[in-house]
Amino acid sequence: MSNLAQDGEKLDRNRMSAQAPVSSPSPGDGPTPTHSVPLFYRRGFRRLLQQGLYIAATALLFWYVYDALNLREFGFGFLDDPAAFKVGNQWLTDVDGVTSSRIEMYLVGVWSSLRVVFVAILLSTLVGVAVGVARLSSNWLVARLAMLYVEIFRNTPLLVQVVLVYAIFLVGAPIIQEVVIIGDFAFISNRGLAIPWPVPNDGLWGLPDWFVGVWVALLIAIGAVAMTVRRTRQNRERETGQPQFANRWAFGIFAVGALVTFIVLGLPVSIDRPYVEGTRYLEGMVIRPEFAALTIGLTLYTGAFNAEIVRGSIQALPTGQTEAANAIGLSGYQRLTLVILPQALRQMIPSITNQYLNVNKNSSLAYAVLYDDLFRVAGIIQNKAGHALEMFFVIIVTYMLISLVISALMNFINSRVTRVGV
Amino acid sequence: MLFAGAALVAGAVIGACTSDEEQQQAQATEQQQQVEQQQQRAQPEAQVSGEPRGNTTQLVQDRGTLKCGVKQTQPLFGFRDDQGTVTGFDIEFCKAIAAAVLKDADAVEYVDASDASTRFELLADGQIDILIRTTTITSSRDMELDVDFAQTTFYTGQGFAVRKDSGINSTSDMANAAICVQTGTTTEQNVADHFTDIGLDYEPTGGLSQDVAAAFFEGRCDVLTADASDLASRIVVRDDADDYKILPQIISKEPLAPGVRDYDSDWKDVVNWVVHGLIRAEEIGITQANVAAMAADPPNTEVARLLGVPFGDGDVATLGFDVVDAQFIQRAIAAVGNYGEIYDREIGSAIERDCTLNALARPLPSEAVDCGPGEGGILYALPYR
Repeated sequence: MSNLAQDGEKLDRNRMSAQAPVSSPSPGDGPTPTHSVPLFYRRGFRRLLQQGLYIAATALLFWYVYDALNLREFGFGFLDDPAAFKVGNQWLTDVDGVTSSRIEMYLVGVWSSLRVVFVAILLSTLVGVAVGVARLSSNWLVARLAMLYVEIFRNTPLLVQVVLVYAIFLVGAPIIQEVVIIGDFAFISNRGLAIPWPVPNDGLWGLPDWFVGVWVALLIAIGAVAMTVRRTRQNRERETGQPQFANRWAFGIFAVGALVTFIVLGLPVSIDRPYVEGTRYLEGMVIRPEFAALTIGLTLYTGAFNAEIVRGSIQALPTGQTEAANAIGLSGYQRLTLVILPQALRQMIPSITNQYLNVNKNSSLAYAVLYDDLFRVAGIIQNKAGHALEMFFVIIVTYMLISLVISALMNFINSRVTRVGV
Repeated sequence: MLFAGAALVAGAVIGACTSDEEQQQAQATEQQQQVEQQQQRAQPEAQVSGEPRGNTTQLVQDRGTLKCGVKQTQPLFGFRDDQGTVTGFDIEFCKAIAAAVLKDADAVEYVDASDASTRFELLADGQIDILIRTTTITSSRDMELDVDFAQTTFYTGQGFAVRKDSGINSTSDMANAAICVQTGTTTEQNVADHFTDIGLDYEPTGGLSQDVAAAFFEGRCDVLTADASDLASRIVVRDDADDYKILPQIISKEPLAPGVRDYDSDWKDVVNWVVHGLIRAEEIGITQANVAAMAADPPNTEVARLLGVPFGDGDVATLGFDVVDAQFIQRAIAAVGNYGEIYDREIGSAIERDCTLNALARPLPSEAVDCGPGEGGILYALPYR
């Protein structure tokens, strides 16, 4: 009790002194105002104080994070341990999980994600351009169908679409025992779509498998030659006005070159036809329902947005462009490919880049359809090893890297397209 | 911490002022105890490994409900029905522990821990007090994760389900088979290990357990692999259950046990001995029906000890459980019955019990016949993986 009473007395005394009249010097006879400003109100001191507080707070935050991570034994050593599990949907890799490490298995997951992202970006662009142009068609039915597509897929959640497509594959496609055979070379069942696929082989001269790489290198070289020829012919056509058939020349050079090298190297590639044995597909290329569901879902969803971007970019062009193209007698196809799309492309690319980044991020919906993408593989590792913080760090860095690469490529394309000012 | 500090100061002031008044001093002590409890409760956030942290028993009692992390997608073990009611074998143990600790079997909050990948995080983060979710004890989980395992509630092993007309009779028939595997479990590791051992390749399709089961039943995979009890529970609820069979081959040991947070041995003790208590009740014939009568007039000292009642004119044996009162097992039995009753009620119709590891150790090993050297006991080493 006595403590409290004393405190009370002190408080009273303080109040008394605060209330006591304070003799303040009048502005005229004291020191100059700059000297009379208390330390706390001086600008220099204030700045120092603010900086100091900021530095202290930042240091405290870093110390806290460091301390927390230290206690959690933050580190990435666990990624080198044996994976002890196997992921499905592997293509061009054969990682069994027993001899491989967790990080290798994670990279298999990254590769699975990249395949989905690449194919979905490609297909959604094609769908977007086709539907976007179709929406502006003068044909009533085509325009309305395109609009219906856009409105349906733009206004329903992507997750629902992906799961729905997967359910259609699982329930709708026949079981493997009742596999549907298309023209004796392709098979459809709910185990996936099996199609013929080129594979390297020994060929006539008995060359090792890697020799197919030589042929691929030659094809690239021939392609480069064909493109150079195409450009020179295009330039000549532009200068002289005489038709030079640049595309036909380029295609001819490439086809002949490919055929000749193919024969000279002794047919290093053969087409593998799939077949069904028991309940499994053998050889050929199997597109699994999980991959197909995710890719188709992403394509349909992103395609709807891309279509709107394409339509908007075309409509943003002055109508004079269309009228001018009509006036000089271009056909509808020529008008589109030579006049409209090249100009609309400048508008499209920045918006389409965003959609591509979304495809990358949305590919994590693989979680819903049994597809072993990087997110699921990371989840498996996390379940086995703990280290959730580290795994999420790795996941975020991976998605960011993929996004940054996509952005960089699209910025490069954008700079090419907008190089000529309008 | 500020509040704790203020309470400490207040406690010190009161203590200093009223040193001659017993009652108020007791009040101060009580306040200090509260402060200590709050400090203890604050500790799980600190994640200091190797030090005791948290007192889950006290936390549960203060809160008044038990947060039980359960599976909600597996019929028989943990399943949420159309009405939102969660039922199953694991759920009974949540109720038993709630009855033991809170004196109310319904004071349970069932937290969805269906996703195998995140269940241990739920526990480590303190979002659940206990994980009863068909979780296998393994060496690596025990050592690497922030989880400690109590007494096993169900012994099973990893098996394989196939269609009866598939012609598959063992894993040696599964070369390049499409196998649906639940991810985030020990299952995927067992299957990887096993197929390496027998030198065959396979094509896994992984995902959440209910998703892979659905894919299997649609014919996406030739084989579904999971704990044999899991397989049985998924097949038995189907209309076409007769089209499927579970192979007799078992490739692993899966002791399923409740998980608690590391470094909280009081809480682990409670959970442990509730499970043992329910099994012991079956051994000595205490049932849900006769537990009240037994408690009123215990036939022998052991029954009296187990039920926490005095035998004759003697005192109640507390057995050193200071975090719960002596009748905690009595309440658990009254709420859900003994182990055998739980088994019969929840899974007995689908999963045979006699002559399995989940039956009582009878006849006692010494009475068993036809045992090889070193066999016929109840030694059961937990899996190293």
